Amino acid sequence: MDSSLIRHQTEISAHVVLLCRYLRNKGYTVSASEEAEALQAIDKLPIDRERNFILSLKAILAKNRYQYLNFIEHYEEFRFHLAQAADSKIKNEPQKEKKKSKAEEEQARFDALKSWLNLTPSVEEKNIAAFSDIEVLGKKHFSNLSEDEINLMMRLLKKLAKKVAHRKSRLRKVSKSARKIDLKHTIRNSMRNGGNVQKLVYSKPKNKKLKLILLCDVSKSMDLYSRFFVHLIYAFQNAYDKIETFVFSTALHRVSSILDNNDFAKAFDIVSDRVPDWSGGTSIGSSLQDFLDDYGYGMLDKKTIVLILSDGWDTGEPEIIQTAMKSIYKKSRKVIWLNPLAGSPDFSPEAIGMKAALPYIDALVSAHNLESLKFVLNHLKYRRNLTKTT
Amino acid sequence: MKNLELGQIENMLEKQGYIGSGSIAMSIFLAMQLEKPLLIEGPAGVGKTEIAKVMAKALETNLIRLQCYEGLDSTHALYEWNYQHQLLFLKMQESRGEDVKKLEETIFSDRFLLKRPVLQAISQEKRPVLLIDEIDRADEEFESFLLEVLSDWQVTIPEVGTIKASQKPQIILTGNRTRELSEALRRRCLYLWIDYPDFEKELAIVKTKVPEIDANLGEHICRFMTELRQLKLEKTPGISETIDWARALATMHLTHLDKKVVEDTLGVVLKDWQDMRHTQDALSELLEKTGVTSRIG
Repeated sequence: MDSSLIRHQTEISAHVVLLCRYLRNKGYTVSASEEAEALQAIDKLPIDRERNFILSLKAILAKNRYQYLNFIEHYEEFRFHLAQAADSKIKNEPQKEKKKSKAEEEQARFDALKSWLNLTPSVEEKNIAAFSDIEVLGKKHFSNLSEDEINLMMRLLKKLAKKVAHRKSRLRKVSKSARKIDLKHTIRNSMRNGGNVQKLVYSKPKNKKLKLILLCDVSKSMDLYSRFFVHLIYAFQNAYDKIETFVFSTALHRVSSILDNNDFAKAFDIVSDRVPDWSGGTSIGSSLQDFLDDYGYGMLDKKTIVLILSDGWDTGEPEIIQTAMKSIYKKSRKVIWLNPLAGSPDFSPEAIGMKAALPYIDALVSAHNLESLKFVLNHLKYRRNLTKTT
Repeated sequence: MKNLELGQIENMLEKQGYIGSGSIAMSIFLAMQLEKPLLIEGPAGVGKTEIAKVMAKALETNLIRLQCYEGLDSTHALYEWNYQHQLLFLKMQESRGEDVKKLEETIFSDRFLLKRPVLQAISQEKRPVLLIDEIDRADEEFESFLLEVLSDWQVTIPEVGTIKASQKPQIILTGNRTRELSEALRRRCLYLWIDYPDFEKELAIVKTKVPEIDANLGEHICRFMTELRQLKLEKTPGISETIDWARALATMHLTHLDKKVVEDTLGVVLKDWQDMRHTQDALSELLEKTGVTSRIG
């Protein structure tokens, strides 16, 4: 082989390896085998066409819709950074800076959560020291909880969530521990023995798994509560099997797999890093409409409960929220809206988004202490009730 | 199934009347070259399943389809014994006084084995295309089971032994994103996203699928569909609806769209009464955007 061609191919291989490393930092799950496949693929293609080169890398390295649709943009970003890194050697400095301020950031976030709403604790809250953990945490406002208490509360919440994760179905499943004889399976099994019943088969009702969709607002107005709410959706994500989680501010982002595969601190960092509009403006209506357009058809049905976590402050047209909410309400089993402001005694749903969405909500819950979250869990058990609860 | 070059794949798609794109051809090419499953996601009715059909046709091989649904288990995907036939056979042989051991060997043979899609796919002589349709509708347990089969390419039947694939089938998985698929499954596949087509691509599809259509009518239909998809509908119509509509209007020998025709035939395109009502309210505006205002009558 021509030496210049060998050099060219080596350069391309190095380029691919660097790209894989860059994409990994962007959240792509590029393992060594994908890296090898990418190299194998470009080996099979004419290397003079850049379009083919990018398309083949896209087919191998992108693993979901977001990555697929943004691959070219990420590739361009990579090329830009590569060119910049070649000019100056300060490639890793911003990351160091970030690490330095992380602890401070953590503290600031926590302090912010503590000052949430500044509600005066009730007399009950002041006199609960003698009760059990659940009782103590139950009515205590989140703003008065320490980080350890928040963790304990999340564990309690997870336990409670698991209790209501299943409903009994009319269908039955074979079980050794069941007590009721299943005639259908007993006879079917007896066929193996020429129709002689040698063993009885027992069955019990199947569990119907609850389907949940969580949509969490992470815009600027929700800054104080975002971390706590992400903690909350993390607890839910780990308690339920059939759950999909999204965060939104000006655009919608699906985060189920991030919350599923990482511990909370890492998951939170990845989510906040990967959502470019975190703490940005709010566009509830268009985010909900995006959810309907992209996922609504497949995800929403009469078995699905939708939980929206937002303060309802919106910059868009209220008609857009109204149309989207109407559609979500119609297609789902139940819609529950968790508003962090609703715990305040003088709360009234005056925010534009909240007002527009109100007719299409089954329950508006404050979500400011464990009691209110228990109320949410209770709601998950039952069918739609036309009475609105605030 | 022999591996084809990229250009040959593009020609193959075109010959089969599938109007694709560079990305689609590239994904098929790499899936064949690297012998990896291809996971295709996108809205309903954009031609995901069609890719598997076209591939099987072009490669002159069998298409084996596994339609996924909630509650699908391994017996429906792999194999099952035909108990009824086994029982009947036993009763018949019993009266003849056959040897029990010999009988046992017979009833657990290929004759009484019901091969389900995955077993069928790995026991074919010629490499088939295995379409696992709407994988996201199956439970996560089934997804894990599938991963196991797809990694070993062999199935063990206790009464018969292990059946190993002589050739790996070409696998196409499709999904509508009703739930997020596991990272493990995604990692094992190449990924392709197919969206609604733009006007030019849709027009090319209509012309290919309904060659008898009037050129003017074809353009009107595609423009109308592009505008219609901008409305916030409960069920956005896909390419299959466009083709059905084009066929219906071509049968009526029409040369252009007008308000009455659209009103009378909207049921071919929309399948939800609220969508129908919403579209009828916005019809004049839609037709204006489509460029057929002058013909409204």
